[in-house]
Parts: sequence; structure tokens; C-alpha cells
Amino acid sequence: MRTFGFSRFSCMVKDAGLDGYMMVFGLIIILITLIMAAFAEFIAPYNPVKIVGMPVVPPSPKFPWGTDTIGRDVFSRVVYGSRTILIVILMSTALSMSIGIPLGLISGYIGGKLDRTFSLIMDSIYAFPGLILAIAVAAMLGPGIYNTSISLAVVYIPTYFRMVRGQVLSLREQLFVEAARALGATDWRILRRYIFPSVFFIIAVVFSLNVADAILTEAGLSFLGLSVPSPTPDWGFDLKNGQRYFLSGKWWPVMFPGIMIILLALGFGLLGEGLNKVLGQKEVR
Amino acid sequence: MTGKEWGIVVVLLIIGLIIGYFAAAPSRTATITTTKTAVSTVTVTKTAGVPPPVTTTTQTTVAKKYADTITIGVTDKVSDLDPANAYDFYTWEVFNNIGEGPFKYKPGTTELTNGIIEDYKVENGGKVYILKLRKNLKFADGTPCTAKDLKWAIDRVARIKGDPAWFVLDFVNKTEVVDDYTLKITLKHPVAFYPAVLAVPTYFPIPPNKYPADKISSDNTAGSIGPYKITKWVRDQVLILETNPYYYGEKPKTHRIIIKFYKDATTMRLALESGEIDVAWRTLNPTDISDLKKNPNLQVVEGKGSFIRYIVFNTKIKPFDNKKVRQALAAALDRNAIAQRVFLGTVDPLYSLVPMGMWSHEDVFKEKYGEANLELAKKLLKEAGYSENNKLKVELWYTPSHYGDTEADVAALIKEAWEKTGMVEVTVKSAEWSTYLELTRKGQLPVTLYGWYPDYIDPDDYLYPFLHTSSNRWLGEPYSNPQLDKLLEEAQVALDHNKRAQLYKQVQQILADDSPIVPIFQGKLYVVANKNVHGIVLDPIMLLRYFLLYKEVGG
Amino acid sequence: MSLRAYVITRIFLTIPMILILLTLVFLVMRVLPGNPVIAMVGMKASPKYIKQLEHQLGLDKPLWLQYVDYLVDLMRGDFGRSMIWGKRIVIQEIMDHFPATLELTIGGFLVSVLLGLLTGMIAGIRSGGKLDASMRIYSIVVYSLFIPLLGMMLQLVFGVWLRALPVGGRIDPGLEPPTVTGLYIVDSILAMRLDSLLSALAHLALPSFTLGLVLSGIYTRLVRSSLMEVLGQDFIRACRARGLSGRIILFRHALKNALIPILTMMGLQFALLLAGAVLTETTFSWPGMGTFLVERITYRDFTTIQGSIVFYALFVALISLVVDIVYAYVDPRIRY
Repeated sequence: MRTFGFSRFSCMVKDAGLDGYMMVFGLIIILITLIMAAFAEFIAPYNPVKIVGMPVVPPSPKFPWGTDTIGRDVFSRVVYGSRTILIVILMSTALSMSIGIPLGLISGYIGGKLDRTFSLIMDSIYAFPGLILAIAVAAMLGPGIYNTSISLAVVYIPTYFRMVRGQVLSLREQLFVEAARALGATDWRILRRYIFPSVFFIIAVVFSLNVADAILTEAGLSFLGLSVPSPTPDWGFDLKNGQRYFLSGKWWPVMFPGIMIILLALGFGLLGEGLNKVLGQKEVR
Repeated sequence: MTGKEWGIVVVLLIIGLIIGYFAAAPSRTATITTTKTAVSTVTVTKTAGVPPPVTTTTQTTVAKKYADTITIGVTDKVSDLDPANAYDFYTWEVFNNIGEGPFKYKPGTTELTNGIIEDYKVENGGKVYILKLRKNLKFADGTPCTAKDLKWAIDRVARIKGDPAWFVLDFVNKTEVVDDYTLKITLKHPVAFYPAVLAVPTYFPIPPNKYPADKISSDNTAGSIGPYKITKWVRDQVLILETNPYYYGEKPKTHRIIIKFYKDATTMRLALESGEIDVAWRTLNPTDISDLKKNPNLQVVEGKGSFIRYIVFNTKIKPFDNKKVRQALAAALDRNAIAQRVFLGTVDPLYSLVPMGMWSHEDVFKEKYGEANLELAKKLLKEAGYSENNKLKVELWYTPSHYGDTEADVAALIKEAWEKTGMVEVTVKSAEWSTYLELTRKGQLPVTLYGWYPDYIDPDDYLYPFLHTSSNRWLGEPYSNPQLDKLLEEAQVALDHNKRAQLYKQVQQILADDSPIVPIFQGKLYVVANKNVHGIVLDPIMLLRYFLLYKEVGG
Repeated sequence: MSLRAYVITRIFLTIPMILILLTLVFLVMRVLPGNPVIAMVGMKASPKYIKQLEHQLGLDKPLWLQYVDYLVDLMRGDFGRSMIWGKRIVIQEIMDHFPATLELTIGGFLVSVLLGLLTGMIAGIRSGGKLDASMRIYSIVVYSLFIPLLGMMLQLVFGVWLRALPVGGRIDPGLEPPTVTGLYIVDSILAMRLDSLLSALAHLALPSFTLGLVLSGIYTRLVRSSLMEVLGQDFIRACRARGLSGRIILFRHALKNALIPILTMMGLQFALLLAGAVLTETTFSWPGMGTFLVERITYRDFTTIQGSIVFYALFVALISLVVDIVYAYVDPRIRY
């Protein structure tokens, strides 16, 4: 069964050509990050919040990625930092999906005044520059994993809402829905049995593209000092913290967390692109 | 791409320009007015021809060859060119170069000397100050300045109720003009350090014909009465000062001072290295300072600052109501690690709230606890009932941007030092400045990091607001010790200097024993300048006197 | 619906948008601890004095009343005064910083369009080939580039190592041209000041490249897909048949038609530019709205924050309105 699944998967990848490889590459990056987060204790050579050497020691066998501004191991911090960003992203996405998707389903399905009100609110937030809104909310709420997740969620609720609502609107008039309704299915049943499954695939694509975006927004927030408080390892914050050494040519406290941010965002971006084609959907972005 | 598309592009650009044009309208009129004033002041200088007779010493110094202009770079901002609302160090520095109050500090010391007054008398047991103004005082536009103008300026501060208004409101009962050159200030209660208060820019006279009587005038270039006057001012860009021909005192050696406002320290550093500026002043990064020390063409001048940082324990929150806990944490603190690792030696460890270099300062915390004294800390923690298995839980708060981007590292190092005892577990939390202050005030934060810039240079300003029962409410920590209150009140009104010093030494001893507040470090000042710039005087007043600077030309 | 009616409807539609955002920010801001008075004098002033200042600013009024007051003033076009540092007029504060952001976003926009056209055309012409594939990867990779890291790397290379370009600020202090539009490039041209122009351009180079590069990927895809669509259409084939050379076809016809989708993207693109500008400004110490807003948020300068949010919302709405109108003008099939 497993081999069958794998060979089918590899066939899909090959058929999809470039997109397939992109998807696989993205998956590999995400997998590596997940492993880093899950097994941080075993991978990281040092405690990420303890001082283990002199400040800003260049990469060496003892400290593979050097030490940071006060002498913590950069590699260990990057490994543990993957936890922070993944948790924030996971929570914020879960939050924005669990608000955006149901609202989108209901709004699109019921329509009318309710739909117009919801759409107006969501469009207002959607059209506004996301990071700026996140900054405003995050600064007011204060730093912390939960608060950062909330401020990111506020920004991304409309994305899910709009996408789901759009799908529902087009599905609502389609034959199989009409048929179900004619057969006396309840609204709830129609939503659950017919509409939600068709929306599901597009959610997967939007999810990965959106997560790529959310990673950059989270990193931006923590770069501005609005995410988790020090000394919790956090890529965006570590990058900011090393900035005062960067132009003196001491690049390692900045580069390694920075590259990880880019790679992880790229990973989800590639996955989303690949999924998009592999699942045979139209471009969503 | 043909006609139509080009048309679109052009239309878009034009729309953008129109938006920008109307958008910039208010600031545009503002600039026009400033240029106008600048022009008129220039003509004043010209028509003035030979400046009014100044002291003869100036004539002799002019013979030497000095550069006409010195350019200074800063990353600070000028908030309001209005003494009634200026309440930050850099704006005060500008005012100290374009204005002068009844008292001023002798450069290089913390000693007060007469400013625009010839003499003064204290009457009624320290309650009444009679100021005798100099006779030849003139504002930068040549209009004479009398006691009436000084009274107007002081009353204006009280009327406008700007940020620094408490310098007047908290102390002054009333001001009376006795004659053209005599002003009588009656205080609400005697204050021993009132002359130091009279030295802050809030008490500088300003020309009544140039400043609105009851409104803040943020971009006013009329200046005051000091060695320089403002000839050009573009907010956040450039400030040009030229010698004030009407200044009563010695004329500066450098005619023109250009202050360039940089947006970041690195740009300022690069500008210094390329020779765009002669002097790089507040505030270079520690990393830049240590890099610049290696440059043979530059000099790094270091001075003691009077900026201090400290840890505040909320003595009402458990377990910090326990003196032993506070003492243990004070003992475990590793100030040298912070000074070296985070600030690369650009700050000094501090062992009292009264900064080093100020009279009555004593290293009380060092004497009592030593430095990073883990043995003592462990002993005290054990006495307080903690152990490796029953750890003391500490919630340490910091604010991420107000004290610069090094703050997170400071918090991390404090955590590190405390946890080295093996009996403490620190959780670090942070909040933005405004929230941080409000939560502190409400007494919700157990351990916080704060910093203090003095308002007036007197030990009182470093002790009374922190330890006096009614005055330390901003710390949300109504730490109260009747004995301390008595000592502080006594020191505030005692007119004998030695007596006051004695009292402040006692206060510091009690402070170290009780440890409601634990000092961490004291800032140093750095000026990096070209080798040929002289006259850089840094002192705990923390103001750079532009009028002392000069640059030799040629050999 | 006529164009005019459409424009009016759109303008009315921005009002709820502003209200929604404003309410959100207003509530979050006032309900949570912290206020401008405390931020300014919270350390040194007495509680009584703080109460007095809060009263002066009307912060002791009930929340709903403050909200209504603010809305009423806003309706009259009065954004109020800042609550900190000199209590300057909010509009003036915004206008001191907005031209900087506008200059940066226009710079970033031009860079992204140029890069997007270039890469998109390469991809479109060589569609299906290796170049096409690499351009697709380019478009994904650049979008993932984290602005602060990219900016800092450019600063290190061009600013510190090569000393070719400045690393921060908008212009060398002292060279700023007399303010007309607030856009230094335009102002220097108007004032015929070459030194100012060069300095402003040099300062703009790295920030706008950073911002533009990151957002260029979006255009790469757009240009590619629309180019391919156009190249497959009948009239291009007709051109070819008539013997027009490839280059002429590409530039005169295909590109022209490919520009339309770019235009439609511009509205959304501007929101992205403004968001990206915040990080670019912070990295390059660019004195624009982003750095300004972040600074004022830490001081809880209520009126300025509210004013800036309203302003941002208005600006975004205006841009998308302009884009729609231009779009309608370009493509007569569109009717509202």
C-alpha cells in the first residue's frame, strides 16, 4: 500500500514536471525545519539561551555558526528558533482558518445582507497593508507567542474568507448542489457534504501560499521587536539583535537566521505553487 | 508602447505629484516662514556691521587661525525649539548653546556659576530667590532682555503646562519683577538645589515678541540669549548656528556650527570617516566606537555620563517583599558582564544610585555585596527558604525600544547571572514603553529595568524620586521607609553642603541594605572627532558646548 | 452605471472601510494599558499632574464619547493634534513623513515593474524552456527574500565595502531642496539643484531596489502569462504573416496588451508596497510613514496613530480607485 502510494506520488511529481520538483523541494525544506523543531534537544549542541562563549565569535568547529551578540551559540538558537516560528505560524493559521473558512462558507451560502456586511468588513481589512495592521495590533497586545499569533490571524482571516466565499458562490448555483437542495437536503448538510469538500483542495493551496506570507510577516514583526520577548530564540528577533554588528562585517548572527526565514518561506511558496499545478487547480494568487 | 499607455503613466505620475503637492502644503508654508526669519536675521548681522563691543579677550583669540565652520553629526532629534515644551537631552543641548539661564555649569565640572545673572540672594530660609540680571543682556535679534522678559518666560512655562512645566509648577509660588534687572522668585517651600533647577532650559529667557504667549512654538528659530543663534533650521535635517553678536560673554572661536541630523549611527560613522562631518556625537554604536578607535586620523574622547540604569523590585509583590531575596539578587548581579559583553566597555558598572563623579557618591553595593557574589547570593537565598529544588521564580520585565536595541541582551545577561546561583528561575517578559510604564505604575510588574536621565545635577534627583515615599509612586512600588523619608527631606532643605553630603551617604547605605532598587551601570559619553578639532569638553552635565570647539586650519 | 456614479459609489464605500479599521485600532488601543501622557512624563511627573494632562487631552472622558468626538472631528476633516512632543497637527506630522514613503514606494514600484517586465518577457518569449523555468523560480524566490536581510546585505556590499552608496537616510543633511512636493527627487529638479538630485537618487537606490526586487516576482508571472496569451492571439499571427519583425511585434503590440494586467494589479500591489516599505524604511533608516508609525505606536500617540491608519486607508482606496478609472479608460469593454 505504501509503495503504491509512493509510486503514485512520484508519478504525479514526474507528470507535473518543474512544478513537481518544486513541490518536492519545498516539502524537503519544510520537513527539515519540522525535524529541527521536533528534535531540537538532540540537534542543538548548546542551550540556546545560555552564554557559552565570547560574544560574536566567528564560525569555528566549536561554534559551527559562530556566537551571537552576547555569546550564545547561533546554530543552537536557529535550531530552537524554528520552534517559535512554526508554533506561531501554526496557531495563527489555525485561528484565521477557523474564523475565515466558516464565515466564508456561511456568508457565501446565505448571501444577502449578511454576506454584504461580512464582505465589507473582510475587504476593508484585506485591502489594508497587512504588515501595518499586524504591527498596530501586535504593539498594542504586547509581545508573546499568543499575541503574535492573534495579530497575524487578524491579517489573514480575510484571505481565507474571500477565497472560500468565492468558491461557495460559484458552487452554490451548480447542478449537484441544486439537485441536493431539490432532494430536501438541509443547508448544513449541503455545506458539509457538497460544498466543503470541493473547497478543501483550494484551501490546501491557499494555505501553503499564505503560510509563506505569514512567515515573512511574523519575521517582520519580530524584526521590529513586536514578537516574542528575548531571550526566546526567534529568527526575526535574532536577526534584528545582530544588526548592530552586521555592518562591521560580523555577519553570522544575522545571516543564518535570515537565510532560514527565506528558506522556510520559500519552502511553503514552492509547495503552494507545486500543489497548485499538481492538484490541477487554476492559479489562485 | 504608444501614446495611450504613455498617457496613462503620465496621468498617474501627475496624480501622484498633485497628491504630494497638496500633501506637503502645511510643511511648505512652515519652511517658507523659517527661510524668511533666516534671511532677516542675516540682514541684521550685516546692518549691525561691527558687532557691539565684546570683551577684549575675543579680539586676541581671533588672531589665531581657526576654521570658520565645524560640522557635527548626531542621531538625536530636536523635539521642540521651545523651552516650554522641550524636555529631552538633545534639545536641551541646543538650548544650552543658543541660550542661557540664571545659572549655568562651569564646563568640565558639575559646579554651578552665574549665567545671565550678576548676583543672587537667598532669603526667607531658602524660600525666596532674588536674581540680579546682567545689565547688557540682549536677545539674538538685538532687543534687550530684562527681568520682565525672564518673568514672562517662566510664567509662560507654567501657563502652557508642557512636559517640563513641573520644573516651575512644583517649585515656584510666584515671580515678581522688582526692577528692570531684579526678579524675585518665591518658592512653595525651600529647596536646597533650586539653583540647579534654575539652570535648566525651562528657565531660559526667550524674546516675547517672537514666541506666542500661550502656545507651543515647535519650530521657532528666534533663539534665546546664548553664544549662538539659529540661522537655519530644517527639522530632522540640519541646524545651522552662527555666533550671536549680542551675546554678553566671550565670543566662540568657531563662527558657524552645522549640525547634521542622521537617521542612523552607521551613516553618521561613515560620514565621519569620509570627512563629511568633523565631529560625531550622540550616539554612535559601541561596535562603531571600538572600530573607530583604530583609525589614526580620529580621536575618541570619552567622558563620564550621568545616565544610569537600574533594576526596580516591586516590594509589594511576593517574594520581593522579602529583603533577603532582593539582597540575594543584588549580590548575584554581574555588572561587568553587561558592561563588557553588551556595551563593549562603553558603560561603567555602577554601585549606587548616585552616579560616579557626583559628590556624595559611594560604591555602597560593591562594599556590601561585592560583584557577582554567588556564595553570598546562595546563602541569602537559603535563608529566605529557597534551594535548588525549590527555586525562586522571578518575572523580569524590559521594554524593547526605549533604551535602544541592546535592551534584550541586558535582560538576557541579568537572567544568566541570577540563574547561575542555581536557585533562581527567571522568565523574561517585555512590553512597549507606554504599556510598560502604565503597568509599572499600577504595581503589576515585579521586576523591571529602568533608566534615568537627570533633570538637575544634584544627588537629590537620583535619590528622592526613587526612595521618598510619595515621590516613587511612578515605580508602582510604594516602597516606603520613614527613616529614609526623613533623611531625604532633611537633605532637600539643608543649605550646608557638607551636611547634605553626609545625609546622602546615609541614604545610600540604607538603599544598599534594603535594595529596593539595584543600580546596574552608568553611561559614558563618546565624541569621535577629527584629530584637529579641539575644545571637546565632556562632563556629567552631558551637554556638548559647541562654543568651546575650534578647529585649527593648516599646520 | 456610468463612470461618475461608479466613482461616487466607490468613494462612499471607502467610508465603512475606514470606519471598520479605525474602530478596530481605536478599541484595541484604548482598552489595553498605556497612553501618551504616561509615555511622555510617566516617569517623573506626579499622579496628580498626569491626571491633569489626561484631562487636558480628554483622555478621562468615557470611551464612547472620545470615539464619537474623534469621528465628528474627522468628518470635518480635522485629524486633531498629536498628543506628544509639541502636540503638532497630525496632518502636518503625516505630511512630513508621507512624501518619503511615497518616494520610496514609487521607486520600488518602478524597479519592480522594470524587473518584472524584463523577467516576464524573457519567460514569455522562451516559454517552456529552461529560461522560462528559471524565471518562474526567480518569481517565487524573490518574493521569499526577507526585506531586512536583503537590505542589510546590500548595505554591507554597496555601502561599507564599496562605499558607493549611502546606507541610510533620504539625502545628505544640508542638501535637501526647498520643499514643494516633499519628494526630494522632484523638488531638486524644480529647484535645479543637481547636487541634491544626485544625493537623493543615491539614497533612494538601495531601498527602492530592495523593495522593488522583492515585489517584482508578481509582475514576472503577470507579464509572462499575458504575453503568452497575446502572442497566441490572431492579430499577432496576422502581424507575423504580414512580415513584421519579431521585435516590432513584441514591443509595439504584444507588450502593449501585456501592460493591462499590470495595471490591474497595481492597486493590490500598492498595499504590498506600503507594507514592504515599513521594513525597508526600518532597515534603511528611511524617515517615512512606516518608521514614524512604529515610533508613535510605542508612545501610544492615539491621535497620530488613528490619523495614520485613516490616511493609509484613504490612500489605498484612492489608488485602487485611480487604477479602476484608468483601467476603464484603457479597456472600454469595462463598464460599471
